[in-house]
Amino acid sequence: METMINGSDLKIGVYVCHCGKNIGGTVRCEEVAEHAAELPGVFLAKDSLYTCSEPGQEQIKADIKEHGLNRVVVASCSPRLHEPTFRAACEAAGLNPYLLEMANIREHCSWVHLHDKDLATEKAKELVAMAVQRAARLAPQVELTVPVTRKAMVIGGGVSGIQAALDMADAGYKVYLVEKSGSIGGRMAQIDKTFPTMDCSICILAPKMSEVGRHPNIELLTLSEVTDVSGHIGNFKVSVLKKARYVTDECTACGDCIEACSELIPDEFEAGLSIRRAIHIPFAQAVPSKFMIDMERCLNNAGVVACDKCFQACEHKCINFADRDKTLEIDVGTIVVATGVDVYDPTPLTELGYGRFPNVITTLEFERLINAGGPTSGELVRPSDRRRPRKVAFVQCIGSRSKRSNPYCSNVCCMNTVKDALLIKEHWPDTEIYVYYIDIRAFGKGFEDLYKRARSEGVTFMRGLPGEILEDLQTGDLTLLGENTLLGTHYNTRMDMVILSVGIRPRADAAGLQRLLNLATDTDGFYMEAHPKLRPVDTTTGGVFLAGAAEGPKDIKDSVTQASAAASRANILMSRGEVTVPAITAKIDPDKCTACGLCARVCPYHAIEGSKELGYYRVIEAACQGCGTCVPECRFDAVEQTHFTEAQIISQIDEVLAHSPEQKILAFACNWCSYAGADFAGVSRMQYPSSVRIIRTMCSGRVSPKWIERAFLKGVGAVLVSGCHPADCHYNNANQQTAKRVERFWKRMERIGVNRDRLRLAWVSAAEGAQFAQVIKEMDQSLKKLSPQQIAKEAELLDKQLKKKSEDK
Amino acid sequence: MTTLKIWQHFKREDLFECYQCARCTGSCPAMEVAEALGPRETILKCLNMGHKSVVEDEKLWICCTCNVCEDRCPQEIPISDLLVALRNSAARRGNIPSKLGMAVELLAKTGRSMIVHQLDEMRAHHGLAPLPPAPVDEVHEILRKTKLEEIIEL
Repeated sequence: METMINGSDLKIGVYVCHCGKNIGGTVRCEEVAEHAAELPGVFLAKDSLYTCSEPGQEQIKADIKEHGLNRVVVASCSPRLHEPTFRAACEAAGLNPYLLEMANIREHCSWVHLHDKDLATEKAKELVAMAVQRAARLAPQVELTVPVTRKAMVIGGGVSGIQAALDMADAGYKVYLVEKSGSIGGRMAQIDKTFPTMDCSICILAPKMSEVGRHPNIELLTLSEVTDVSGHIGNFKVSVLKKARYVTDECTACGDCIEACSELIPDEFEAGLSIRRAIHIPFAQAVPSKFMIDMERCLNNAGVVACDKCFQACEHKCINFADRDKTLEIDVGTIVVATGVDVYDPTPLTELGYGRFPNVITTLEFERLINAGGPTSGELVRPSDRRRPRKVAFVQCIGSRSKRSNPYCSNVCCMNTVKDALLIKEHWPDTEIYVYYIDIRAFGKGFEDLYKRARSEGVTFMRGLPGEILEDLQTGDLTLLGENTLLGTHYNTRMDMVILSVGIRPRADAAGLQRLLNLATDTDGFYMEAHPKLRPVDTTTGGVFLAGAAEGPKDIKDSVTQASAAASRANILMSRGEVTVPAITAKIDPDKCTACGLCARVCPYHAIEGSKELGYYRVIEAACQGCGTCVPECRFDAVEQTHFTEAQIISQIDEVLAHSPEQKILAFACNWCSYAGADFAGVSRMQYPSSVRIIRTMCSGRVSPKWIERAFLKGVGAVLVSGCHPADCHYNNANQQTAKRVERFWKRMERIGVNRDRLRLAWVSAAEGAQFAQVIKEMDQSLKKLSPQQIAKEAELLDKQLKKKSEDK
Repeated sequence: MTTLKIWQHFKREDLFECYQCARCTGSCPAMEVAEALGPRETILKCLNMGHKSVVEDEKLWICCTCNVCEDRCPQEIPISDLLVALRNSAARRGNIPSKLGMAVELLAKTGRSMIVHQLDEMRAHHGLAPLPPAPVDEVHEILRKTKLEEIIEL
């Protein structure tokens, strides 16, 4: 290896972190440091208990200054965690932050090979050697600064969206609040009371709703949906489809039109328990307080005015049948996603009879039944005969904690039931109430008190869910069959009414916005945060933040808290007014470029401009996001990615394969999904074979077939190319190119007689640690079936084909 | 670590999925009519006290493997498979209800698990021919091959 850069000596400092026992308990860090000290270009190598600590960082800074280190390698945790920390330390000591390289010996080594100290130590040595090779080839970089548009968009007008919009608007920024339905308010507007304080839900929400309506900095877009998003942090261009309301802003919500309309439709806001007209206002406190026409149900839905009764009835002539959908193009710097959740529909659980037995209802239906503004004006009646129920059962965990529906706990149902039970007791104290549960989760502030109150007011809690509910056809009464697990006895209890405590789930349309904003989802389908502990409202897409239950089930208080947090994060960005973009963009060498334009064709951001006529192509740096997909596309090696250069990555590959290549799995993992997935496997301590060596690229689209070829020529056992799931690529759809390239390579392998199973393509998301571990286990097993002779023979076949190719040329 | 024989026939890990919601026992038709060991209790005993406490209990045999419990289990635990594994273990220990033992004995001797004498009278009444003799040797061979002989003397 060259130990000279620009005529001066390479001076690499290597720091091996014990991370307490996290690494030190498995990897012999002193031994790794001693090994590193002997590597070419390494000036000094040290091990320390916590490199990320103040003294750990000070040591690095002192060494840079004292010894004139010109490269730093930190072998510790994932670069996704502490790269910014160590970059800052380098910068503070006057070293360009891009001259830092990290070796991930925790998530990718000590935590996943807990039971074999020797193997883990050997692997750690190799990971450090790979990092040293790459570090030697790093170059200093300067980051580009781009201005941030000081406007924000909030998607979703529930309580989270309202809070986030108000916080940003109050901070002085223009906010566009986009709401799909005809009014803001969301789920909270539907609920009767809140737990644990028993506040009237709409009474505390309505003032906030009207504040949004009159706030000079908020532009409220109801009946609107985001249809397209382009751009990046600080500079998003959002297309919003604003659907026609057919009622003008002059509407005073007098209601004269309702009586005139003849079309009757189940009222969504009342959970279908009452009817509304085609012309309607979503609910009394709606903001904007304007009527709207449900054109799908209006008699004029064919585009011909067949009925104008509402128009005739309207004194102010606010009805406009000629109203049309509009698409708005809006520039914003940041986006807050507060799209909320759907409610679980218990119809598939046929044994409970929901949908067949009228007196089996859901908690959301109950909220409307007991609400004074609801269909019964707050009288609790059962649907079959409108009699007041004397015996009521709540059944918990419906649609939650089950592999047959949603595997997670929905978080809010226990306390909601306790609250509902108390509401019944408050109005009709003689009602017998039974709550059938598995576990009561009363974990929040004031929750245990409320639970205690329910017990002391005579609510009976029975452990053991009914297996079946039967209906008496004559009376509509219900019989619950089940086991009281604490007594070990069977119950067979007649009830007047059963309320299913249904869980919450990601919105059915969540995937649309996920694709537009390049968000990741967790295994439960909720939008995923950038870090579960320390960046809980950020997403992996810069400038996009999460608020409310779209990120995971949560109650009103948590939703509002998170909304303020998201607004604060967005405010920081807008207040600073500029962001730096990482120096990882692509560059085209004009001397090598033949202006064929192949690179421009695969760019997911149209960031490469030029033409055959102009005779060149070039990268627009501000638009380039640094996926590197264009690089392998160039046949003339004219394209290069900053900080992820061919030379840097090839040096890593060569280092991996310098010793016993036939026993190794070389894995390429994209930064956002697969590398994060491998990190997650580590954090979860999922054990997998130590034969794998992971090389990080920003996108799997950067993985060049040349690298795969080189690895096989050098006799690698197997190669894994992994990236985000096809629709989840963080660079629009760059990983389509990955799939194409791998498929082409497979065909080539088949043609020349190389076992195609030795190259694997796997889509692993950031939440799929188990999936990553499984892939490695499977690959390791197939690798064990291969003999070194076979591997050598197949390398020869590939070599022969290459030689023949060059001769042909 | 050695695995108990029973857990070679049923994945013990599946039991860890159970959080005792009792939908299974609540759905069990046997529980309506007899003192049975419900699936929930069966699983809990296996987890907390080991499977021996279950296989020594004759109430294990009341289940008729109708599969409703398994259908409704939110954690998709293969409860019927568990019961089959437990019963095999119970039978190997000689814990098999006498009535069931008789039925097996009858099956081995006549090729049928019930006495069909009365059935023939009914068939004659309806003008049907008597049932053909059962292939006793074949049935015997099947029972031998399934190693039932090791459990019950045939």
